[in-house]
Amino acid sequence: MSTGAAVANPWLAAPIEIAGVTPELAGVATYHMRFRDAKRHAQFRFRPGQFNMLYLPGVGEIAISLSGAGGLGGTWDHTIRVAGNVTRALADLGPGGSLGLRGPYGSWWPVEETAGADLVVVAGGIGLAPLRPVLDAWLAAPKRLGRCTLLYGGRTPDTLLYAKQHARWADAGVDVQTTVDRADVGWTGNVGVVPLLLDRIRPLVPKNTVLLVCGPEVMMRYAVLSGLARGLAKEQIWVSLERNMQCAVGLCGHCQLGPAFVCKDGPIFRYDKIEPYFDVEGL
Amino acid sequence: MTAAAKRPQRDGPTLWLARADLQTLVDVLWQEGYRVIGPTVAQAAIVYDEIRSVDDLPRGWTDEQSGGSYRLKRRDDEAYFGYVVGPHSWKQYLFPPRATVAVADRRADGWHMSGVERDEPAFAFLGARACELAALAVQDRTFLGDDYVDPIYRARRERAFIVAVNCTQAASTCFCTSMDTGPRCTGGFDLAMTELPDGFTLEVGSERGARIAAQLPNTAAAKDTLARADSARQQAVEQISKHLDTTDIRDLLLNNLEHERWNEVATRCLSCTNCTMVCPTCFCNSVKDVADLQGDHVERVREWDTCFNWDFSYMNGAVVRDQIRSRYRQWLTHKLASWIDQFDVSGCVGCGRCITWCPVGIDLTEEVAAIRETAP
Amino acid sequence: MDSKVLADVLAKLRFSESLPDEVLQRVAAASKLEGYAAGSVLFREGMQNDVLMVVAVGRVALDMHVPGRGEVRILSLGPGDMVAWSALLGGGRMTTSAVALDDTQVVAISAADAQALCETDPTFGYHLMRQVAMALAHRLVATRLQLLDLFADTPPAIPQGPD
Ligand SMILES: Cc1cc2nc3c(=O)[nH]c(=O)nc-3n(C[C@H](O)[C@H](O)[C@H](O)COP(=O)(O)OP(=O)(O)OC[C@H]3O[C@@H](n4cnc5c(N)ncnc54)[C@H](O)[C@@H]3O)c2cc1C
Ligand code: SF4
Repeated sequence: MSTGAAVANPWLAAPIEIAGVTPELAGVATYHMRFRDAKRHAQFRFRPGQFNMLYLPGVGEIAISLSGAGGLGGTWDHTIRVAGNVTRALADLGPGGSLGLRGPYGSWWPVEETAGADLVVVAGGIGLAPLRPVLDAWLAAPKRLGRCTLLYGGRTPDTLLYAKQHARWADAGVDVQTTVDRADVGWTGNVGVVPLLLDRIRPLVPKNTVLLVCGPEVMMRYAVLSGLARGLAKEQIWVSLERNMQCAVGLCGHCQLGPAFVCKDGPIFRYDKIEPYFDVEGL
Repeated sequence: MTAAAKRPQRDGPTLWLARADLQTLVDVLWQEGYRVIGPTVAQAAIVYDEIRSVDDLPRGWTDEQSGGSYRLKRRDDEAYFGYVVGPHSWKQYLFPPRATVAVADRRADGWHMSGVERDEPAFAFLGARACELAALAVQDRTFLGDDYVDPIYRARRERAFIVAVNCTQAASTCFCTSMDTGPRCTGGFDLAMTELPDGFTLEVGSERGARIAAQLPNTAAAKDTLARADSARQQAVEQISKHLDTTDIRDLLLNNLEHERWNEVATRCLSCTNCTMVCPTCFCNSVKDVADLQGDHVERVREWDTCFNWDFSYMNGAVVRDQIRSRYRQWLTHKLASWIDQFDVSGCVGCGRCITWCPVGIDLTEEVAAIRETAP
Repeated sequence: MDSKVLADVLAKLRFSESLPDEVLQRVAAASKLEGYAAGSVLFREGMQNDVLMVVAVGRVALDMHVPGRGEVRILSLGPGDMVAWSALLGGGRMTTSAVALDDTQVVAISAADAQALCETDPTFGYHLMRQVAMALAHRLVATRLQLLDLFADTPPAIPQGPD
């Protein structure tokens, strides 16, 4: 046992502030953040799929994925849906609001690891937020070796996230396909659940395809089944999981799913690693 | 490597400390700056608390334990350590039930966050059992074993001085032999004693231990003393009657997450959390904010929590483990199975506390046996 | 269009890609390729229709009429998806309306021919019906998922108490 050396306090948040807010949907906004300390700000790096713990003193602390970077003079983004106490308080803060951050934490989508493969990005609802950095990375890559398809589902046309960016992504080469559970008058897009889009993609070269899935657990389960039915191996499928998190570093026990700590072994899991625990009720 | 395992094991001779000199050991530890914690009788149980004098120890008392039952009983001798384990464990000193882990202050330019400067106490644990040494090693892996380390635990653990006392008797709830953690203390201590009617054999387990031993009136233990100590310890081995078959236990439990037995045990379990509170390795905790009246000074307070609490797995407006079946399953599979994936060691040390303190006497060894018997 | 070309088209579609070649050829012989411009109607709810369709190119939407709400869009279908299964199984009375969302081509299989083949050749019947059943089962699961309304905003609930 080494003695003396001070250890970093895993609970200590660093002060950040909201540089700007982009409203997205009813109850959903993207917050552009920066550290109050310029040096710390310059050092902040993350990988697509990782998350931060955002801390509102007196209210609470929540896990939120990174949804982008580079906006508003080098800020990074969190796209957050108002769900309860902390998210509501955060929405009330507005630009200039002061809060704390710990992170980034967790595993990431295998973007670099699978360079050259065809990416099929499957997202549902707010689940597109942690996948947006994957699209950004694909779009920013100097050389495109594989194709990129986005299959995105939401409840209704007006709840599709980042709708204004879909066309830009499509222009830049992403095959963007969206679908809704409930269409309204005038919607000429797809109707039905996202796994159906996965059934239809053609051509799909199973050997060279990687499936990245984020959304409600039930949706992910069926997207995985569709992926498997299309001939993908379990090792080619990644899913993002969610559990109550308090410490985000494996010290509090809250986020366990079978042997996994979702905070540090996840939130992004290769499907074969989590399969036995993915679909067990109440685990 | 765990902190405990790294400590040098000394090969020096086993020493002898006369019964009358036990007080000297307590005094020396206090003089060396340790806060001595040891067993004492309170609330009709043997619990851990500050020990100034040997008179604080449970001299002449023993405990009688079985599923759901714990009773103090008079011994027919004056042994200081003639009991097994009580509801407390050393965990409460290294991993305090409630601690402020960070603070936030609102100033003109926004929130300022800081850690908590504190001088962590140096404890001397007097009377740690072999299973408890194993529990410390298990918690070392949880709190010190990965990239992120718990600063409170680490500071307290580094300073802690451990005087182990070998068991010379066992309770009906003990199964350390199944978990390979006892009853003999083989490492992870600074000093280890075996109590005999006229005194204690004393083994030195570390440099620190040697420094303390050197300040005690001691002699080398005589050969027949060593033999007497051996047979005293052997008594504990022979009294252990409970057994947990750990063969492939990880797969046994994780491959049977839908076993009917989870439903059955759920009809008995009250989800009272006792088993997790007395467990010397359970580490789950929650953090909440405590603000002053203006809301400008906020403390992040970490408290023990447990997977048996209903809202422990709350997310997205719902509770994942909303049934007792799920919560008991989480506890047992974590303790005995997934702990092995996570920390390369079982989360169970065989101390039997969860059996004794379960108000309805649920016995995890029976639960595992039932699953084993009927697993497909 | 000759049936060899049709067989090639069918062979590439998910609906029929796993049909044994012999069965596929016979389905092709009972089929023709039909084109629908974007916005045109393939069939209307309640009407009689005697072809089972498989979308080859484009997209088709299924709508149901609800008094007071007008046409409610239930599902959109794409290449490889089956349309108008009730031609084969439901006596030909259409349960939805179908509208081409894009310029669309469908392989239209004569339900009468297909039924006759099923009757006389149980092996053919098994393969075709299996395909139809699988497509329906798949759609049933998708419909259930849709029914779950997974993206509905769950009101933030405060834990109400155990068990
Ligand atoms: C790895 C990860 C990434 C996430 N990324 C995003 C994101 O990018 N955008 C987004 O809008 N949401 C995201 N979430 C969900 C987000 O954490 C919850 O919506 C949020 O915690 C709700 O907090 P609340 O206080 O507003 O709600 P309340 O219902 O009042 O919750 C009370 C507390 O319970 C815990 N809790 C509740 N729901 C969750 C949850 N789903 N996950 C973990 N803890 C929870 C939190 O500690 C929370 O403060 C993510 C969750 C995880 C685990
Ligand atoms: S097993 Fe026993 S001690 Fe543990 S929660 Fe259930 S009733 Fe309480």
